[in-house]
Amino acid sequence: MKRFKAQVSGLWIMDYGLWIISGVIIFLFLILTSSTAFAHKVSIYAYAEDSMVFAEGYFADGSRSRNSRVEVFDANTGEKLLEGKTDNEGKFSFRIPKATSIRLVLHASMGHQNDYTIDEKEIKAAMGIQDTGVRGQESGVKERKMESKPRPTVPLTVASGVSPAEIEAVVSKAMDRKLQPVITMLLKLQESSEKPGITEILGGIGYIIGLMGMVMYFKSRRKG
Amino acid sequence: MHISEGVLSAPVLVTGALLAAGGIAVGLKKMDYEKIPEVAVLSSAFFVASLIHVPIGPSSVHLVLNGLLGVLLGWMAFPAILVALTLHAVLFQFGGLSSLGVNTVIMATPGVIAYYLFNLPIRKGNHLLSTLAGFGAGATGIALGAILVALSLISTGESFLGVAKLVLVAHLPVMVIEGIITGFCVIFLKKVKPEVLEVGK
Repeated sequence: MKRFKAQVSGLWIMDYGLWIISGVIIFLFLILTSSTAFAHKVSIYAYAEDSMVFAEGYFADGSRSRNSRVEVFDANTGEKLLEGKTDNEGKFSFRIPKATSIRLVLHASMGHQNDYTIDEKEIKAAMGIQDTGVRGQESGVKERKMESKPRPTVPLTVASGVSPAEIEAVVSKAMDRKLQPVITMLLKLQESSEKPGITEILGGIGYIIGLMGMVMYFKSRRKG
Repeated sequence: MHISEGVLSAPVLVTGALLAAGGIAVGLKKMDYEKIPEVAVLSSAFFVASLIHVPIGPSSVHLVLNGLLGVLLGWMAFPAILVALTLHAVLFQFGGLSSLGVNTVIMATPGVIAYYLFNLPIRKGNHLLSTLAGFGAGATGIALGAILVALSLISTGESFLGVAKLVLVAHLPVMVIEGIITGFCVIFLKKVKPEVLEVGK
């Protein structure tokens, strides 16, 4: 073993395997214990509701992308519809300008940028426009989704003197309240799914070591 | 410091890719058999360093370690950084595949400059001088990187001075932290394995 070491003394790294391994462990420990790691990638998420679009910009570490420029495009034609800035909580909302699929582009500073597209169906549902052409072909799941949205043409036999519109308003209010935690949870899930996990980190290191092996193999063949 | 996909225009991306290819060619040519494991370990360190972040003010920045890579690897920092950045883009969506060339140039060039400025004083100097040179290498890597980010963003219509100032201010704490880390690494390596600091050829 000693002779082998002497032979490849150029590969000093091998002599310090213990150092390197402990270094890697400390690194990983740091990453996993700090709740606020990873600020790098910026993301934007948006949903449509009540004729409004609500967007939220955040960095990969969960911190909000404040005061960032958001551009809103018509995703079909590429035409720019409007532009705005996120507030102090990284939020940005606007009234839907047009019943079409909408693409939001978030420009955080220093070259960070990302986009999100809301499709036409969601926009139309939020505006209360019934997309009759598509409805007939929709699957059961979609059907149920449509069901949960307030529909303006619900045939209601009103005996108590409450107008359909009033019922609808009450129901949608109650629904908003009930769905709020769900939406928050979904947002959180969406955020956490974008954080780099331990699998990716170790996988990346593995790739680099594998690559090193390959390069060394080819170089040693050329040598010999 | 990773510039995202779709921010830069095609000419900037192509220029970045060409410059990166040149740097990588030089780096690969200089890489001898004995250096390969070192390049790989430092590439891994660079890969992981981006996940350690320093919260400051409204934003947060992360370690880069490009000064350390540069001063230890010279031109070989180019291939090392390219590999790590590719994995960043694929695994974490940091940066992007199309902006890989530009990002490699942004982070590796300051490293190479740090090598030419500080490698000699680190090797030949006394304890104090070596530490200071190590600090200088770490800080230079970040500062020049910030300037290069601003330069490549000119084409998007953002004002050079505005972005440069923003990026520099955001990275000031990282400059100090990286300076200290690089200083310690360099001193440690000089004590236990001084030949590592010789980049050769």
